[in-house]
Amino acid sequence: MPQEYEKDAYPEPPKQTPVTEKETTLPNPALITSKLFYYSVDLPVTKFREIIDGIRGKNKYHYYHQNFRRVPDLTECVEGDYLCYYEAEMQWRRDFKVDQEILKIMQERLRACQQREGHSYVQNCDSQVKDFNQVAQAYNSRYGDLGAHANSRRCLMKQKERMIEQQQKA
Amino acid sequence: MVGMSVLRSAAALAARLNPVKRVSAGTLLSGSALRTEKAVVRYGSHGKKMFVIQPTGYYDRRFLNLLKYYILLTGIPIAVIVTLTNVFIGEAELAETPEGYEPEYWEYYKHPITRWISRNILDDPAKDYEKMMALVHNEQEKRQMRNMHLEVRRHMRQKGDGPWYHYDTLDKSLIFSGHKATPDD
Repeated sequence: MPQEYEKDAYPEPPKQTPVTEKETTLPNPALITSKLFYYSVDLPVTKFREIIDGIRGKNKYHYYHQNFRRVPDLTECVEGDYLCYYEAEMQWRRDFKVDQEILKIMQERLRACQQREGHSYVQNCDSQVKDFNQVAQAYNSRYGDLGAHANSRRCLMKQKERMIEQQQKA
Repeated sequence: MVGMSVLRSAAALAARLNPVKRVSAGTLLSGSALRTEKAVVRYGSHGKKMFVIQPTGYYDRRFLNLLKYYILLTGIPIAVIVTLTNVFIGEAELAETPEGYEPEYWEYYKHPITRWISRNILDDPAKDYEKMMALVHNEQEKRQMRNMHLEVRRHMRQKGDGPWYHYDTLDKSLIFSGHKATPDD
């Protein structure tokens, strides 16, 4: 099934394909191949999907986005309170997953920009590249070398190291 | 004479043992393969029946048949069920949570089969979370009890005034402190 996304969220720029006027009587091979593709692949697939949607259209049901409550962090836990540790750990894992998805979305945007622009992506995709670099750097500094057995505690230790380094630099 | 006959018989033996290709004049000039003359025979059947000797394919064929059977035994029902759910029931659509409505725990998934599994087979994730929290709580209590036990032991050993680490001594009233018979008692 295709990925669902709001088409109005990141609108594509208007298409800039020029209107070609036919100047010769020779047939245009690109037009022929596109028509061939349309009739042999595009039309049957669309028809099939419409049939299936017609069958499925009667009982529509929904799924929702789950929002989790925020719980106290690992830094706000009393030492020895393992319940607090557990909740903080679970919250950290959820945040880790969310950050991974954010990174994937930035990558997807960059890829879409490159696909849209074609060969002129070097010049036109600047803002996307900047945003992606920023997000990737932030992700790296926070979750970078934690490895497969990443832990909220190890992440906290990494943050401590970063703060120590910053202090030593200043 | 005898040598000649011996030589002739030896030559005959050699000729029989190593057949030399008789190169005729026609083939020397043409340079292509030797022209073999095929016998023109017309069969009423599908040609000469050959007894082809091959290694047995019984075990391989049996294995492949059994493999296909056992894979398709559950594969076909699963494929049918998945196809029918995808065609007739279809996936859910993302919607905003309505005001004041708390969705059931299976309503957070998209595919109908995932929803079914979550509803009928698995427990509520909140329940799983609470189960884990219960285990953690038990272990925490055990740890606290053990730590306290060790600390109390340490205190009692140091101070010596607890129910442990004191050894029963004689009752003072049992000690006779009067004059003894000999001066060394």
